[in-house]
Amino acid sequence: MPEIRVTPLGAGQDVGRSCILVSIAGKNVMLDCGMHMGFNDDRRFPDFSYITRNGRLTDFLDCVIISHFHLDHCGALPYFSEMVGYDGPIYMTHPTQAICPILLEDYRKIAVDKKGEANFFTSQMIKDCMKKVVAVHLHQTVQVDDELEIKAYYAGHVLGAAMFQIKVGSESVVYTGDYNMTPDRHLGAAWIDKCRPNLLITESTYATTIRDSKRCRERDFLKKVHEAVERGGKVLIPVFALGRAQELCILLETFWERMNLKAPIYFSTGLTEKANHYYKLFITWTNQKIRKTFVQRNMFEFKHIKAFDRAFADNPGPMVVFATPGMLHAGQSLQIFRKWAGNEKNMVIMPGYCVQGTVGHKILSGQRKLEMEGRQVLEVKMQVEYMSFSAHADAKGIMQLVGQAEPESVLLVHGEAKKMEFLKQKIEQEFRVNCYMPANGETVTLPTSPSIPVGISLGLLKREMAQGLLPDAKKPRLLHGTLIMKDSNFRLVSSEQALKELGLAEHQLRFTCRVHLHDPRKEQETAMRVYSHLKSVLKDHCVQHLPDGSVTVESILIQAAAHSEDPGTKVLLVSWTYQDEELGSYLTSLLKKGLPQASS
Amino acid sequence: MRTEVPGYRDQRGPSHTGANRCNKTGSPVGLAPEPGPPPTEPCCHSRVLTALECCAPCDIVSLSCRYQDFHAFDLSGATRVLEWIGDKGVFVAEYESLKKNEILHLILPLRLSVKENQGLFPERDFKVCHGGFSDTSVFDLKHVPDTRLLVTTGLPGSYLHVWQITEDSDVIQAVSTIAVQEKEDSLWPRVAIFSSTTPGVLHGVRLSSLRVVDLESQKTTYTSGVSDSEELSSLQVLDTNTFAFCCASGRLGLVDIRQKWAPSESVSNGRGSPGAAGGRWCAEVGGKVRSPGPSVAILGSNGQLCLLDPRDLCHPVSSVQCLVSAPSPDPELLRVTWAPGLDNCLAISGFDGTVQVYDTTSWDGMGSQVEPLFTHRGHIFLEGNQTDTTPLVTTHTWHPHKPRTLLSAASDASLHVWDWVDMHASS
Repeated sequence: MPEIRVTPLGAGQDVGRSCILVSIAGKNVMLDCGMHMGFNDDRRFPDFSYITRNGRLTDFLDCVIISHFHLDHCGALPYFSEMVGYDGPIYMTHPTQAICPILLEDYRKIAVDKKGEANFFTSQMIKDCMKKVVAVHLHQTVQVDDELEIKAYYAGHVLGAAMFQIKVGSESVVYTGDYNMTPDRHLGAAWIDKCRPNLLITESTYATTIRDSKRCRERDFLKKVHEAVERGGKVLIPVFALGRAQELCILLETFWERMNLKAPIYFSTGLTEKANHYYKLFITWTNQKIRKTFVQRNMFEFKHIKAFDRAFADNPGPMVVFATPGMLHAGQSLQIFRKWAGNEKNMVIMPGYCVQGTVGHKILSGQRKLEMEGRQVLEVKMQVEYMSFSAHADAKGIMQLVGQAEPESVLLVHGEAKKMEFLKQKIEQEFRVNCYMPANGETVTLPTSPSIPVGISLGLLKREMAQGLLPDAKKPRLLHGTLIMKDSNFRLVSSEQALKELGLAEHQLRFTCRVHLHDPRKEQETAMRVYSHLKSVLKDHCVQHLPDGSVTVESILIQAAAHSEDPGTKVLLVSWTYQDEELGSYLTSLLKKGLPQASS
Repeated sequence: MRTEVPGYRDQRGPSHTGANRCNKTGSPVGLAPEPGPPPTEPCCHSRVLTALECCAPCDIVSLSCRYQDFHAFDLSGATRVLEWIGDKGVFVAEYESLKKNEILHLILPLRLSVKENQGLFPERDFKVCHGGFSDTSVFDLKHVPDTRLLVTTGLPGSYLHVWQITEDSDVIQAVSTIAVQEKEDSLWPRVAIFSSTTPGVLHGVRLSSLRVVDLESQKTTYTSGVSDSEELSSLQVLDTNTFAFCCASGRLGLVDIRQKWAPSESVSNGRGSPGAAGGRWCAEVGGKVRSPGPSVAILGSNGQLCLLDPRDLCHPVSSVQCLVSAPSPDPELLRVTWAPGLDNCLAISGFDGTVQVYDTTSWDGMGSQVEPLFTHRGHIFLEGNQTDTTPLVTTHTWHPHKPRTLLSAASDASLHVWDWVDMHASS
């Protein structure tokens, strides 16, 4: 039985390690290779030993696909490819390919330099891993091998995020990764065509959530910044290299313009600039509005936002600074934080998630006295704010995407089954599809019924049409022909054509059957009796008595012979071709019943 | 069809022309207690004004000074139900005919549950805690206190549906039905719950069909026993033995179920009494029933609002005209609610896309026009989809503990949680 098998290797509840194994028509694909941000031990990475107990991963997996650059989707990649060992292709979009190594290196620095972890992947490993990456364009069908093909669709969420369709023959699976069904200020909404996959694997981290509107989030953010600036305070916004930083820049720029505010806004040199560089590079991945503005002027070159110089931090008066890194674990953002932390007029706004062990994580969990390097204690008097701008699909978004793709079944990952029974029912009711929610390590098996297209020759079709009545679309009809399977191509042709094409000589297949009759008379007389019996029974057929004493019914030949040992018994030899099998068997069964007693 | 209601014309003064335009004439219309910024359009400071005037009314800037907090959500369908369960949960339910209607138990955003320094709390989303599907439209839903049971009513109105919130999953399951005595095609039974050791479901379409059914045994424990066929618009249980009813005509009464039907009632022909003015009505009795003063508010579809003392329902304490632009297009959606945490404060909706908050303290006379303390226009200007019709507010409710926080829902399936700023108090 052909089937699709899906096993999530690790998709925790909150900030999970996304990693899903899919087997489709004999091909094995690994979707995402994420790490868990909450763990420092083995649980950080997915359990790759599950994939294959013995043997190399490269032999087992046909390819690996990475949906986007967030670490919970790609953080385990260097570990997987360089430390566990995988040399096959890794597919991701161009922006993901550009940004992924930056974030991996950033993360490696925190783990090794800050937390002093040993046995972690090295910078060289990240580089070697990235060499195995094959970058793909949106809507480009990529042939992984002769049978396996993949195609990327726009997912919104972050720059370069993609949903992937994995297809083998007529069977397909769509994996969404993280996606967002409502457009941002800088990204568009996820979109997929009506590709009707056998299975749609969708993230469901926010499936039980009804999201607060973007506008209200922005209102709060602007209100906080505005209040701080009005009272003369300095605002620090630590940002990740990419993602929300650009959005917040656009937001503040617009607000400053409208409100005619004069306080300077800076963004730190280095990563944010690099990030803007990538956005410019991948402008086609942003939303339409930005693309349009880009023709007139560069949307990411701001009027009010200027490059930061470290000397500016000591300037008097209010200011807003975007600085990297986002988790306050090193570099410029941490330097500025140390300078400003002591003043209660100032404010730090954390716009994203912080890994345990970072200053960002500490202040967000309410810590007010921080031990810095050299046993120095830093007292945090400045206001600490958290703003979540994460762009995930909520229950409504998931329903929208299922409606777009029209899959035959849906699989939810990243969620808690007990809390999602209602959503499962909702999906099953609204779309009349099955919905699965496997736990980590649990395999969902979907039987598929692959359809095999067969071409039929016009000649054969015409001949069949000529023979019978007009075809009825709703009724199956029997048709004889020869199936030629050549180059994974199926054709049904007439047997004559098949013989001609394949250069074969025609073989005759004859069946011969002996029927014993109790009849002491001569063979000729027996044959005569057979003839008159059949003639009377088979009125519609052409029954003949040939000069040589044999009887024919159509192409079926009947000869009578004497029995070698028993003179009271005659043997009837019945012989027919394969084509007349039906009549042949009927005749034999008829003759086996014996002949009617002669009236004489 | 537009009924001429006293006071409509005068309201289109400068203070009413735009959602966020400030009144530069400085002469507020109506009963503003003191000069200064007009009560309906307060703004922070002059620089905010500049920004406001040059941009669309939907701008985020305008939201920052009028609200302490503002969250906007999109439900999958519009709700007429906002029923509290505890102070962190709320039920919503869809009311469309010929479709599966969702009943959801939502958990309020976490940041609403904390008092100070909300900044650290990231959770600003609703969580769907439980959900179920109803084959009929849900017009009203009551949670039976201290149980996992719900009672819903709607059209077709031949049954009330009883639901249970399952313990081991997130599903709300149908458990039983309660047959309604008088079956009518276009009317649906009103419901209220007597919560005691054996909860009773008070319901009825008309005064004559009023009864209490014991939820467990399904036995009828009380019937009104009258032949009065006046149509009901709202029912409210006040304590273990009393309930209040309001008829669509504006007739009001308090009933003691221990006694034979002899409600203390309003008279329909008294001066300033609701019934005399026509239209359809709904009412709410405030929490302080036993204390002196007007605790009954009754709202008419033309915008009249009367306050009554429950001990003397015959003589309204005050009767005013609210600042509404037109009679309610759907009187079924009329809502009047007393603020549980503020003295003499109430909110009304059901006329358009707004929710108005009024301070009733200084109301005295009859027929005078009053201005709201605050008007929530979020459902109009935060509208996501560009549609021709502006959404109509379907219901609203006050947060049980946060004094100035309200929840409101509209016909476009939006659900707002907002904590308004009393500009009077701050000025």
